[in-house]
Amino acid sequence: MLDLAANVDPALLTDRIDELTTRLILDGVARLGPPDFERLAQTAAELGNGPLADGAQRIGKSLAAASTLSVPDLTRLVSSGLVELRNLLDGPAAVALPVAIPSPTYASKPPEGAGPALPRNDSLAADEGLIREFITESSEHLAGIESQMLTLERDNSGADTLNSIFRGFHTIKGLAGFLEFEEIRSLAHEVETLLDLARTSQFAVSPAVVDVVLESTDVLRRELAAIAQRLAGSTPPPTQVNEALLDRVRQAASGKTGGKSSGPVPCPSVEEAVSIAPVHEPAIEDRRIGDSSSVRIATAKLDQLMDMVGEMVIAQTLIGHSPALESISDALLQRNLSQLARITADVQRIATGMRMVPIGLQFRKTARVVRDLARRAGKQVIFEASGEDTELDKTIAEELSDPLLHMVRNSIDHGIESPQERVALGKDPTARIRVSACHQSGQVVVAISDDGRGLDREKILAKAHKNGLIQHGAQLTDNDIFLLIFEPGFSTADTVTDISGRGVGMDVVRRHVQKLRGRIDIQSTTGEGTTFSIKLPLTLAIIEGLVVLVGAQRYIVPIASVREMFRPTQEMLSTVHDRGEMAMVRGCLMPIVRLHRRFAIEPRTTRLTEGTLIVAESEGRPFCLFVDSLIGKQQVVIKALGERFKSVVGVAGCTILGDGRVGLILDADGIYKWRA
Amino acid sequence: MQTTPVPQASSAAPLPLGANNRGGKYLIFHLGAEEFGTEVLKVREIMGMQDITAIPQVPAYVKGVINLRGKVVPVIDLRLKFSMDAQEYTARTCIIVMRTCSSGQELTVGMIVDGVVEVLNLGTSDIEDTPDFGPGVDIPYLIGMAKTKGKVKILLDIDQVLASDELDRFVGTLQ
Repeated sequence: MLDLAANVDPALLTDRIDELTTRLILDGVARLGPPDFERLAQTAAELGNGPLADGAQRIGKSLAAASTLSVPDLTRLVSSGLVELRNLLDGPAAVALPVAIPSPTYASKPPEGAGPALPRNDSLAADEGLIREFITESSEHLAGIESQMLTLERDNSGADTLNSIFRGFHTIKGLAGFLEFEEIRSLAHEVETLLDLARTSQFAVSPAVVDVVLESTDVLRRELAAIAQRLAGSTPPPTQVNEALLDRVRQAASGKTGGKSSGPVPCPSVEEAVSIAPVHEPAIEDRRIGDSSSVRIATAKLDQLMDMVGEMVIAQTLIGHSPALESISDALLQRNLSQLARITADVQRIATGMRMVPIGLQFRKTARVVRDLARRAGKQVIFEASGEDTELDKTIAEELSDPLLHMVRNSIDHGIESPQERVALGKDPTARIRVSACHQSGQVVVAISDDGRGLDREKILAKAHKNGLIQHGAQLTDNDIFLLIFEPGFSTADTVTDISGRGVGMDVVRRHVQKLRGRIDIQSTTGEGTTFSIKLPLTLAIIEGLVVLVGAQRYIVPIASVREMFRPTQEMLSTVHDRGEMAMVRGCLMPIVRLHRRFAIEPRTTRLTEGTLIVAESEGRPFCLFVDSLIGKQQVVIKALGERFKSVVGVAGCTILGDGRVGLILDADGIYKWRA
Repeated sequence: MQTTPVPQASSAAPLPLGANNRGGKYLIFHLGAEEFGTEVLKVREIMGMQDITAIPQVPAYVKGVINLRGKVVPVIDLRLKFSMDAQEYTARTCIIVMRTCSSGQELTVGMIVDGVVEVLNLGTSDIEDTPDFGPGVDIPYLIGMAKTKGKVKILLDIDQVLASDELDRFVGTLQ
């Protein structure tokens, strides 16, 4: 370890201890855990304050060992410990901590005679909460480490990054050692040693080092999964931490990188970076604070809350529009009512926002895949992400990771040229893959772009003709043509690479995106690159819909499946054999589906010219849905119709409308396909 | 919409209804001249008639769904379910929201009846077995018959009446 005593910033440690004290007072001892003290110990160790580190470690240990103590006893234990830590920091002559526990065996006895001796129980169940916390925290560290390793690989002058990675492994090691996960501890220890060498500029971080560190994070992640499995009561696979892996890490540390292409590169900037090593890392601090102030909630509870908020909004609307109230001209009442309306709207917004998560985590996963794939394919790729803070529904964010991976894989495999080819074309040999996310008029737009060779319009057309996907003479826009690569028939062909290769797994992408009620658009310029834009709803719980009327029933048509709507004139309409009705819209003939016939209800009018036609889409094919009239556009909260009606065709769900009545949400696909 | 929450002894689990064990409190309602009884413990609330959203492709007796404080609850017309003539809804018509159990799943279902009469405390001795109507007449959802105040009350095993199996089977054939 470096001697960094000269750089000790006592204020930082004081702050940390004060923060713990504040939390102890505000949140109670139950919200403090051994990991808090682990972190303190780690900071102290990094700052070279050995006694304080030991003290913090000991408090952490005694806290864990004394988990069955009563709350007042625990509070006393922790607060006296913190006071001693402060003393230690303020005066070097301070005495040993009263909570000091000289050996692990003593840890089983709660200090200060606060309760009966607790036998140290090694079974997982005893420390389940602690271990779960360990798994969560370590996973977060691993995710952070992974993305930071990638940054480091691109620009290995980042001493801060290296330090932060080092700290991540150090924390994992400490916690694992504390919870007696020997495999994790030993692996983390070896990686830590490796990183320490890099930190002290013994050698530079070569791709081989990155490889071995990333491999280690993978193995660690699997170890964590195995622990989770053990907690769940099933038998995990055998550990993958073996001597071979540890040896590889050690070898990387000793500079023998197994003959990998790019050897150690001298890295002068690390030297100067060491002196600023113990900088206070704001990102880590922020995350930690975030940890303590977030709560896991069962989604069922959230749904229940959403239900009740929905009801509240309805009740509020009903009161606000009640004719009895409108006749009252009491200014105070009016003011209170509008205040109530505002608060209700706020509550609704917050309740909806609770399901939102930033998309950054998915991007980090993608970054890792880009790196691995590019290395395997022998291409040079820089991955850039922006808009990581863009929030969207948790379900959508999770569902998005597969399409993202498929798309970057396609870009790397087929879109991006080899470095030599790129140089020959006069391009930068290093290609760029950009992933961005932003909010755009109530939707989230995720764009993936590369600067590869682009899609070949003509070849796609030729291929589509050959496979019978399109008719000759069809009028198609560029976007229409590019979208053909998502057709299932397109990806099965073995010559996909001939048409810029896009297509492998692309129908999977489209299926995923459609499931999320999203849309994909493609822009591509030959030789310059391709951009995929995925437009997604903010949440799956709310959709924008057209409220339409048929007879006495109101239905919601999701706006995502609506192209346009109009009242037809007689000239637009024609029939086949007097039965099959069709409408001609801008030279396009579309079949007409009468909703009242499909659903067997009494409409207000059966004459097409007196109603409204909604142009909807079923798997890319447009058709017209005939309804009585359009009431308006509205955001609705989707509810399931329930098990009972799960096989009803043409209905995707239902919602509670503004007046408290239930409205059915139509499934355009189902209506079109269900030929009664 | 006026709703009348029915006080419930939530701690008292509904007893299984065997032949010896049919006594208890029954909510009596009527369809035309016939009076029916259902266990009070399974009644969640009684509400006035309200707008029902129709669902396509379901049997006629399934009138649709209503919004019960944020929950979407299916509603059936008991007259149609029992193959009686349909009748105009009146001010006395109401929806009895029941909590039933079918194949291990808890279901909340509303049933439309002509009107609610009273809550009766029936002893085991008040209840007689269903008479044998002869071959060809099989009514599986009858618990028994109760005779009080000179009138016959038909006691229903509501779990059987509202079991979703029948509906599922019907909807299943559409596929």
